Amino acid sequence: MQKRMVGVLVVVALLIGIAAGGLFFLPRDQEPIVEEPVGEEPVGEEPVVQEPEEEEPVAVGEDALPGGVPRNETLIAGILSGKIMTPDDFNVWTVTWKHVDRGIQQLMLEPLWIVDYVTGEVINALASEPPIYNEDFTQMTVKMRDEMFWSDGVQITADDLVFTIETIMQNPALGGHGWSNAFVERVYAQDPLTVVFELKEPNTRFHSHFVDRWGATRPMPKHIFEQAEDPALFPFNPPVSSGPFTLHSHDPGGYWVLWERREDWERTPTGELFGMPAPRYVLFRHHGPPEMRVLSQGRHMLDMADMSMEALRASLMGNPYTRTFRDEFPWTVNVDPAITGIMFNTARPPFDQKEVRWALTLAIDIVDFIAIGFDGAAVMGAMHLPPTPVYQEWYYEPMEDWKKEFTIQVGGEQFHPYDPEAPMRMAEHSRLRGFAVPEDPQEIRDMFGIGWWKHAPDVATTLLEEQGFEKIRGRWHLPDGTPWVLTLLTGVNPIGIGERNAFAAAQQWERFGIDVNIMASPMEGTMVDMGEFEVNEGWPAIEPWGGHHDLYRTFNTWHSQFMRPIGETNPGHDGRWSDPRMDAIVERLEVIGWDDPETFELGMEGLKVAIEEMPSIPTVAFPGMIVWDEHYWTNFPGAENPYTQPYHHWPNFKYMLPFLEPTGR
Amino acid sequence: MLFLKKYMLPRVLQFLTVVFVGITLVFIVIRMLPVDPVKQIINTFAMFGATIDPASTELLIQTLREMFGLEGTIFEQYFAFWGRLFRGDFGPSLFLFPVPVIDLIVTALPWTAGLLLLTTFISWLFGTIMGGLAGYFHKSLWAKFLDRVVMVLRPIPFYVFALVMLIIFAYLIPLFPLGGGIAVGTPITFSWRFIVDVIRHAALPALSMGILGSAVWFQTMRLIVQSVTSEDFVVYAKAGGLKKNTIAFKYVIRNAILPQITALGLSLGQIFSGALITEIVFAYPGIGSLLNAAIINGDYNVIMAITTLSIVTISTLILIVDLIYPLFDPQVRFK
Amino acid sequence: MKMLKDLLRDGKFKFGFIVLVILVTLSLLSFVSPYDITIWNVGIRDRPPSWDNLLGTNSRGQDVFWEMTFAIRNSLTIAVFAAFFSRIVAVIIGLIAGYSGGKIDKLLMSINDSVLVLPLLPILILVSSLMRGRLDVLSLGLMLGFFGWAWDARVIRSQILKLREKGFTYTAIISGSSTLKLVAKEYLPHVTPLVFATIMNNMSWAVGMEVTLALLGLSDFEMSTLGTMLHWAISYQSMLLGIWWWILTPVTVSIFLFVGLYLLSVSISEYLDPRTRIQRIGTVRQSN
Repeated sequence: MQKRMVGVLVVVALLIGIAAGGLFFLPRDQEPIVEEPVGEEPVGEEPVVQEPEEEEPVAVGEDALPGGVPRNETLIAGILSGKIMTPDDFNVWTVTWKHVDRGIQQLMLEPLWIVDYVTGEVINALASEPPIYNEDFTQMTVKMRDEMFWSDGVQITADDLVFTIETIMQNPALGGHGWSNAFVERVYAQDPLTVVFELKEPNTRFHSHFVDRWGATRPMPKHIFEQAEDPALFPFNPPVSSGPFTLHSHDPGGYWVLWERREDWERTPTGELFGMPAPRYVLFRHHGPPEMRVLSQGRHMLDMADMSMEALRASLMGNPYTRTFRDEFPWTVNVDPAITGIMFNTARPPFDQKEVRWALTLAIDIVDFIAIGFDGAAVMGAMHLPPTPVYQEWYYEPMEDWKKEFTIQVGGEQFHPYDPEAPMRMAEHSRLRGFAVPEDPQEIRDMFGIGWWKHAPDVATTLLEEQGFEKIRGRWHLPDGTPWVLTLLTGVNPIGIGERNAFAAAQQWERFGIDVNIMASPMEGTMVDMGEFEVNEGWPAIEPWGGHHDLYRTFNTWHSQFMRPIGETNPGHDGRWSDPRMDAIVERLEVIGWDDPETFELGMEGLKVAIEEMPSIPTVAFPGMIVWDEHYWTNFPGAENPYTQPYHHWPNFKYMLPFLEPTGR
Repeated sequence: MLFLKKYMLPRVLQFLTVVFVGITLVFIVIRMLPVDPVKQIINTFAMFGATIDPASTELLIQTLREMFGLEGTIFEQYFAFWGRLFRGDFGPSLFLFPVPVIDLIVTALPWTAGLLLLTTFISWLFGTIMGGLAGYFHKSLWAKFLDRVVMVLRPIPFYVFALVMLIIFAYLIPLFPLGGGIAVGTPITFSWRFIVDVIRHAALPALSMGILGSAVWFQTMRLIVQSVTSEDFVVYAKAGGLKKNTIAFKYVIRNAILPQITALGLSLGQIFSGALITEIVFAYPGIGSLLNAAIINGDYNVIMAITTLSIVTISTLILIVDLIYPLFDPQVRFK
Repeated sequence: MKMLKDLLRDGKFKFGFIVLVILVTLSLLSFVSPYDITIWNVGIRDRPPSWDNLLGTNSRGQDVFWEMTFAIRNSLTIAVFAAFFSRIVAVIIGLIAGYSGGKIDKLLMSINDSVLVLPLLPILILVSSLMRGRLDVLSLGLMLGFFGWAWDARVIRSQILKLREKGFTYTAIISGSSTLKLVAKEYLPHVTPLVFATIMNNMSWAVGMEVTLALLGLSDFEMSTLGTMLHWAISYQSMLLGIWWWILTPVTVSIFLFVGLYLLSVSISEYLDPRTRIQRIGTVRQSN
């Protein structure tokens, strides 16, 4: 018996030893984060920062690029959408998802227009000027850029655009079939570089279908597609590019695509507007789960990567060349044009009452929320709009006074829910955790956001009690007397941003006295669409353009015409909220052009309505978790140098490439 | 002839029944999935921030519903499915419409088939042989030690084991590539370079799966052999002075191998579920992630196609095993 | 009791028994846990083992030791449910099919094989998705049980078939025993070792499947099992961040659980099989 026991223990010990060996592979240069439970006396500990050891680049033998593709002329980036299911098919005009982010939208195709949400501009790419509408918006003219060529030498002309639209209109399996048939009466080329759309009815934002905001209808090469029997089934392999890179080779297993710079790169919008892309080759590769990406980056085989929050820390720890968008804490991208938070199903009681929604908002302590959900590394946003620098300038700052004066009616009195000091509290909390946080209020606001709603559980209590809720023995009960059990529907990814929002909210509400039941389901998408949920971690508001101040894209989804009852699929925002004031704003926006200065006022009006009604709780801007390895390339558009947007999966990626600099290794 | 009638025919009939019932079961189950493939397509775009505006969304939903042929009652869809099946047409995929399902499978299957076939056979062979020897010589020290090692190795969750193998043999000691199916830029010809590259990339996944796989075969074979060895007829044979080798081959192994072979057949058939965790950890191409994506997106056609192939393959393998059975087991032969 | 004493003489059984007793005790401890396992940040995150936290804390700020007790409890419960349910079905089907023969046998085996040939993991994923995330311990156990009986039913059936041919069946029939008595008295004792061996196997399989499903993200987050603990630990990069206590705990517990079950099953089946019992007497005396 002892022999047996010893035998088993020896083997187990061996295994633990091996595993532990694997675990300690990374040299540590930061001590593990010290976190105080909120509410207790903070203990001031000095963070021990060891000097990072200079790591010799590990031999890249079996991961080497093919001959003729030097590593220091190649930029390696990750594929956000994972493994490509149709690796041999480059036709992205179909209605279904074909992994455009494997380099197709970032390198291969140029759109007519594109938004940059960091600089706040709309760039004319294949179009030479913004869309020209007639008086009553029934006609749109597009002027194409001259001297632009496909990679096989054929010039890009108005014919390509006309052909694209006509093909889409004829083929239901192509994306855009619906709206093109609904709006386009006639499309024709007035001259080789001018396209005229005649619309069936006035549409002030018809051009938005061509504005690239992580997707758009882009011109397809007529001379190639007209030879295809069925443009939807045509695999477009090998593809021709309108962008500055062509396909070099790809993985039939769907894990990588290698692109090569065109000789005639100057005959593309990228080349003409920005210059020669610095890397001669770009490799898009899906390395696997986040741990694999960390390992690859450790071997300097991944320059631009998306990570999870923990993987981000792991990569920073082990690799002296890596950096994140923001060089120090809180590391994450704070310019992502999406606001995350909690979404209520306003068609379902008790979430149809704005007092209940506000109460739940005030029950959240945003500092604790961000600490629990994001380890402190996220920017708070109080409005239904991502708090990116340009939106802060256009909307957040101008509305600051209004927010401070805004009141809600509680117990017969007016209560000011806005808390402009929230970022200061967040800064204090981070200081106690040992991070270097500046004292300058402006810098603090840049880091953490410019304000949020107060943590006021007593006000929340009053609001609920006014609606008939009762707190019995510390737990809340619904007006009908039954205990309140709130079901929070989430997806199944424990490190997803939505899920993190959900966990943090659940913790806050539990502390407040509500029984929260987290239901994780792979069927989340369908359930939310059908309205079969109470509370969900979906985006509180659909993302705006990012690079343009017009908020139609966000508000339109709240129009009552798109709301369907529970049990039916909902084309509008799945929270099913609508308000006649918002409807009026949307309808007014629809008749004025998107550049009209009135859109600013309407935007602010809409945001005010959303705040008053609080149909969903905006919490933090999407914390982009990207890590750059500066071993081979540098001058990435980080927070200190934001010359363009920072992501490699956005189509603006090609406009970043001319500015990268090789390190010379 | 009599043999054919009495033995083969009922088995073939059973085979057909099993295939039919299995496919129907799957058909029913996936129709019960609350996932709407149409909405999933829209969701996928929304996930990346490329939300389609609500008006277009409504139009898109209508168009997709028509194209997907999800109209009609469940019976109509059922018969349509069988009709298409007999024409050898699996239909178009839904979440990758209009790419035909067969294209997707043909792209992904060779990787899985290659990896799993090889791994399953090798681990089966290795595990069975070692298990047989360990079972026969179950009193010896080395057999006991091996048994203990295997016993501890087997329950390690594959994800963890794979990750540790990767860290040790691909990162710390760079013997193998850090994941992937082939190296970047390798031409897809049947050249020597291509083959070597595929093998180098398949080596670590195969090794990881193989080690854990052999553990299972080892244990079952060892138990069977051990119990057969103590059966009466073996003891009599030993007492009667028959040579050890004769006993081993003629009696012990023949009896022990049959359940092992049946289990092997089943296991080979599981190829179609793919090695999902292997594909995830090693970023290895294959059919597992296709199937997983299909389930998440409610792609009925892909799921039906893969499970149909799986069911048919497994049943055929079992049928073949059943037909070879009489060659091994005289008792059955005389029945 | 005497049986237990006899069994304990065997080293294998002793070890497995002790391991299982420890695990069951740990899982029972979960009922007196000072922590509510659904609350985060009760302690400082990512702290290594210390006297305050025997096994350290995880990235959610919870005590790993108490998390483990819940995990063991839930995993064991799932395994027991699954094994129990599937045994009952397997024995019934195996017995009826084996004894009746003919048409009933063919019918039952057809159904049996249809379940057997279903590709396991995809169907499990499908069915988990169907449940829309309400997979609690009981339903998970039932679902796993549903897939566990097919193989063993066949094995039981072939054992019954062998027994039918043996002499004592005819003797019993000739001497006039009723069918039920026959089945109960004559067959069950021979089938029982098989059933016991397969119980442990099935429990191991159930835990393994539960771990796989959790790693694919199909389990309930708030329900702590060995699988979900692993899933959380891996997702939060415990390996690369050096939080080894969080990931090694479920792995080590799993190993001990499987080893314990395996040893128990092997020694019990050796004991119940009359031939090997005699052999054991010799070996048992020596191994201690």
